Amino acid sequence: MKNIVEIENVSFRYKGSDKGLIKNVSLKVKEGETLLLCGASGSGKTTLIRLINGLIPHYYSGELEGTVKVAGRDIKGTPLYELAGIVGTVFQNPRSQFFSVDTDGEIVFGPENIGLEPSEIKRRADLVTKDMNLKKLLGRSLFELSGGEKQKIACASVSALLPDIILLDEPSSNLDWSAIEELRTAIKKWKKQGKTIVISEHRLWYLRDLIDNVYYMENGDIQGRWTGEEFFRFTDEKVKVLKLRPVRVEEKYMAKSGEMSKSEKVRMILDADKDSILLKDFYFTYARRSYLFRKKKPTQADADILSLNIPKLEIPKGVVVGVTGKNGTGKSTFLRCICGLENECPGIIVEGGKLYKGKRRIGLSYMVMQDVNHQLFTDSVEAEVLLSMKNEDKKRCDEILDSLGLLEYKDKHPMALSGGQKQRVAIASAIAADAKILLFDEPTSGLDYSHMVKVSELLRNLADDGRTVLVSTHDPELIDLCCDYVLSIKNGRVYSLEKCSRMENVKIAL
Amino acid sequence: MKVRLDPRTKLYMILIVSAIVMMSATTPLLWTVRIIMTMIPILLLIAEKRYASALRFFMLYIIAIVLTFYFLSADSTGLLKALLTGYCGIVAQFLPALITAWYVVRTTKIDEFMSAMQKMHVPDGITISLAVVMRFFPTIKEEYASIRDAMKMRGIALADGNIIKMLEYRMIPLLFSCVNIGDELSAAAITRGLGGEVKRSSVVELKMSIADYLLIVGFTVATVIFVFFKYVKR
Repeated sequence: MKNIVEIENVSFRYKGSDKGLIKNVSLKVKEGETLLLCGASGSGKTTLIRLINGLIPHYYSGELEGTVKVAGRDIKGTPLYELAGIVGTVFQNPRSQFFSVDTDGEIVFGPENIGLEPSEIKRRADLVTKDMNLKKLLGRSLFELSGGEKQKIACASVSALLPDIILLDEPSSNLDWSAIEELRTAIKKWKKQGKTIVISEHRLWYLRDLIDNVYYMENGDIQGRWTGEEFFRFTDEKVKVLKLRPVRVEEKYMAKSGEMSKSEKVRMILDADKDSILLKDFYFTYARRSYLFRKKKPTQADADILSLNIPKLEIPKGVVVGVTGKNGTGKSTFLRCICGLENECPGIIVEGGKLYKGKRRIGLSYMVMQDVNHQLFTDSVEAEVLLSMKNEDKKRCDEILDSLGLLEYKDKHPMALSGGQKQRVAIASAIAADAKILLFDEPTSGLDYSHMVKVSELLRNLADDGRTVLVSTHDPELIDLCCDYVLSIKNGRVYSLEKCSRMENVKIAL
Repeated sequence: MKVRLDPRTKLYMILIVSAIVMMSATTPLLWTVRIIMTMIPILLLIAEKRYASALRFFMLYIIAIVLTFYFLSADSTGLLKALLTGYCGIVAQFLPALITAWYVVRTTKIDEFMSAMQKMHVPDGITISLAVVMRFFPTIKEEYASIRDAMKMRGIALADGNIIKMLEYRMIPLLFSCVNIGDELSAAAITRGLGGEVKRSSVVELKMSIADYLLIVGFTVATVIFVFFKYVKR
């Protein structure tokens, strides 16, 4: 087999930044090989991907040394549009990688760009639709698709260009378990077609049996090379030393986070002596009955159209509760209702003997959103925290920032911070607002192992300080690291609330 | 009944209606022409099953017309009538253009639009920029909704009545996320061959149908009548 990608002694530094630089990297990819790039964020994985698809140096500029050859062409001298039919890339964020507004237009977008005949484009679109099982998604607006469906369309539109090389840059970051399963199927199919595949990824378990070779990146250099077989046999300790996420996930978590067993029995196991928070009448629907009744709040009687149907739920105080369930089963809706964003939800929260309903729920709880950029409003970290306080108290603000390790960034612009720091700024303002219940919407999607551990420690600390933390997640690793309870939601109902016995897991791991 | 119009016809409609609304109707004949031209996009909206907006536009327009002819006159006095004259004047004059534009925006797909622009030999640069603008509206809407939620949660939706702060809190996160999305979007688009030297092709086959020709002829005739009776044969 000949080499289809040849990277020789390449060093690259982004203009005006030290992040993601790579130093003297050499790497060869054989035709038909499936290669995994792993390593912490900022170790240079994405930079390598961008070198192969030509975004470096044509879109992201910087200092580039060495040569990159893809399918026999020197990247430096090949314009990007000539690479379009050779290299295809699936990106991390499903929201920002589509160009059309509807699915059909998106699939044919690439072939149209390279000027293929309409009949050929149609033939390819039909082929891809059949191959990837997309019939149901055709003719729909991309804005109403779920993250998983969007990622599927992204895979299809890359496929339609029939590239020899397919690059995937952290493709599973925003996906739930069933969507990840579909992604795995797509990769399998490409592998069967003999495509060369390069995947950069933090989540590793779903790639088992697909990978030929694994390259481990650290500080801009390749620090380890293994075959896929060797790599997926690594012990948990070895994986931890490498600061990677686990290479296998225990069966029982698969069951928990994915499809539940068929029995509909609701299990609730709680410590009777612990203080708890009571949630009552959490009903919500996206389907409204009729125009006249629009103002009517949903009740138990509307059971058939309810997207969220939780008559009563007790959550212990001062713990971390992991909220799991497939995308679209009502996890986010549940969190939105708790923090009072959905006015139509009649839910009541009883906390510390006080009753909160309607708009008053807003002050009781605070949600750290998945895209934390949406909730940072001011021009300095300090101002951000002070904004949340009823009476500005600089001393308390300093204390809060100190406890989160943000004191030195006090005068910085929040948007100039890293993703994890931004998340902590959002938490700081939640603490400043005196929120008793903190909600996190998938805080670890797209994070590497060490960042995930940091988030889990943060969540633990918040709970140990007496706040109640609800965290929606698709990461079994996170549940393992910090959750006391796991609440699974299915079809808008509470399926189970179970105590998470972390000690027991440690035993299994040993 | 489903009427699929060619985007070129739609653009022509916008052009003609915008021209007509800039000329004031003075005689009953001219009014008739204008009203007919306003009813066409409303009928087209109905054909697209957009009943609610069709009804809303129809009522708005009819009320303004009826008030103008039967309630108001050159020697109307009083505050109410003054306000009504202003309202009716603006609605009766400019609503036709708004209805047409609304119809076109709501019923044209981006790929149809791009294909039409290519057929009219508009440079790709202009076509793509316009397409990106169309693609971005829903994104801005989504981002804005999240930001509004975040503000609600912080209790700063009204920013204590400080209008500048109110604007700042909305605009700063919105600008940052739009810039980020735009950057990622263009990276994704150029790896799929956007902006190459080859001529873009299009799977959307545009064909002028009878409805297209009828509308083009109809609108042209209406314009000729309007201009002739207004400026030539007075």
